[in-house]
Amino acid sequence: MTEAILSVAGLRSGYGRTVICDDISLQVSAGQITCIIGPNGAGKSTLLKTIAGVVSAIDGSIRVAGVEMAGLPAARVAGSGMAYVPQEANVFRALTTHENLAMGGWQDEGRTQAARDRVYDMFPDLQPLARVPAGNLSGGQRQMVAFGMALMLEPQVLLLDEPSAGLSPLMVGEMFETVRRVNAEGVAILMVEQNALQGLKTAHEGIVMAAGRIAMQGAASELLNSADVSELYLGSRI
Amino acid sequence: MNLQIFVNALVNAALIAPPAMAFSLLFGVLKFPNFAIGGYITLGAFAAYTFNVPLGLPLPLATLGAMLFTGFVVWLAHVWVFKPMQDQSAVTLLVVSIALTLILESVVRLFFSADVRGFDIPLERPWKFWGARITREQVEIIACAVVLATGLHVLLRHTRIGRAMRAVADNPMLAAIRGVDAAKITALTTVLCGAIFGLTGVFAGLDLVIEPLVGWNLTIPIFAAAILGGIGSPYGAILGALLLGLAEELTILVLPSTYKIAVGFVIIAIFLLLRPQGLFGTAEIKK
Ligand SMILES: Nc1ncnc2c1ncn2[C@@H]1O[C@H](COP(=O)(O)OP(=O)(O)OP(=O)(O)O)[C@@H](O)[C@H]1O
Ligand SMILES: [Mg+2]
Repeated sequence: MTEAILSVAGLRSGYGRTVICDDISLQVSAGQITCIIGPNGAGKSTLLKTIAGVVSAIDGSIRVAGVEMAGLPAARVAGSGMAYVPQEANVFRALTTHENLAMGGWQDEGRTQAARDRVYDMFPDLQPLARVPAGNLSGGQRQMVAFGMALMLEPQVLLLDEPSAGLSPLMVGEMFETVRRVNAEGVAILMVEQNALQGLKTAHEGIVMAAGRIAMQGAASELLNSADVSELYLGSRI
Repeated sequence: MNLQIFVNALVNAALIAPPAMAFSLLFGVLKFPNFAIGGYITLGAFAAYTFNVPLGLPLPLATLGAMLFTGFVVWLAHVWVFKPMQDQSAVTLLVVSIALTLILESVVRLFFSADVRGFDIPLERPWKFWGARITREQVEIIACAVVLATGLHVLLRHTRIGRAMRAVADNPMLAAIRGVDAAKITALTTVLCGAIFGLTGVFAGLDLVIEPLVGWNLTIPIFAAAILGGIGSPYGAILGALLLGLAEELTILVLPSTYKIAVGFVIIAIFLLLRPQGLFGTAEIKK
């Protein structure tokens, strides 16, 4: 196993006094895709929010490239080599594509120009939309802006919360293709997916979450073949 | 058509547009209609008066002092009053902001009485052209408003801080995720808006009179212009101010001038009922 870029141990978090996620330990290896699946309300989004610093950890450790992040607010986690794309409201609707990308590079303005060119190279479809407010874009285009924004500071690990949610079936395939492409550039990815089949097929590692805890963890191919997972999460989709 | 109507409408718009833009900006980051602006404007007028008359500073310097002062007061109000209450509903905050205006007005009345005052500036004859009259102060107000609106545009569209202000207004959570210190940007926005309200106080003192109710009397027109242009859309606010100014002047043609203030009310009522997003905006004021 390669070195872990993101390492979470004994993590507990929630809202107010309500604990949602408990006893979460996971590792994301450099350059690998890990996919988290699980039923609605399992705490998948809460876990990503906690890792990103949006929800504060009650207990446990979150290390990015060996540096402790638990307890830091989102704005401080932002420049750490990890970038988070939320499930909803993941672009600035009132800002143009160009300006959204600039916000992605907020912490290192000097690099913005070059980074933006790199993002446009990666998503050529965004170039003609540079001056369009993100609120006027289609769901797929918005998702690309959100990705691009998160990639501006060249993170080593990307946290994606349901990248395929709300996209048309045609766009879903393209989205997973994009995830693979981003990963091929050497970016490790921890993503949550409702689309368990496609998500696990795209990933190297898989995690099943239920009721705020990790229920199963292993190679994505193993989870795909596991009887429990097929029955619970893939059944209707195969 | 009478040219004077357009001159008056333009002066009115120049008076209303900057604070309407500030009101919109403030709504963008704080998410409630802040009616404390009346108190802020009155405070600005009296601060400038204090610097100008009792202390004898030239008006431009007194104006600058007043802008700094109101900028500071609005920031203070944010930190002491509105920030601790940020989880309250917009209606609660609106009521609190009206209370704040009453308090600020009372404080001003306590120190200055309700007498009508004016700045220490030489009286000049208005200029006349094609049958219309305009005073030197009115020309200055228009010029300042144009410079201010242009400056705000450049700030919001072409600077890093301005972009962050729009980003925080649009989606504070995402702004934090991208590393923006949203609290700092919000504080900066309050100072900027406060300075604009202070300037409006000076304008009002020049064009109208300096008295404790000067800010309150402008509140409805400012709110109407902001609603007309689309709350949360600073550019719409400029057009809203122009349209409102024109509507007010046209009303005076057919109705006694005491009804002028009603124009703002009618516009607010119509837009809140039929088109809460205004002519250009996207944000809505929740009823
Ligand atoms: N802001 C919040 N305040 C309080 N409770 C919340 C908040 N957000 C989520 N929850 C609760 O936390 C639990 C887990 O929610 P979460 O969004 O993490 O689940 P999820 O696995 O992402 O679900 P989904 O598949 O629907 O996205 C749910 O019971 C939810 O009601
Ligand atoms: Mg979720």
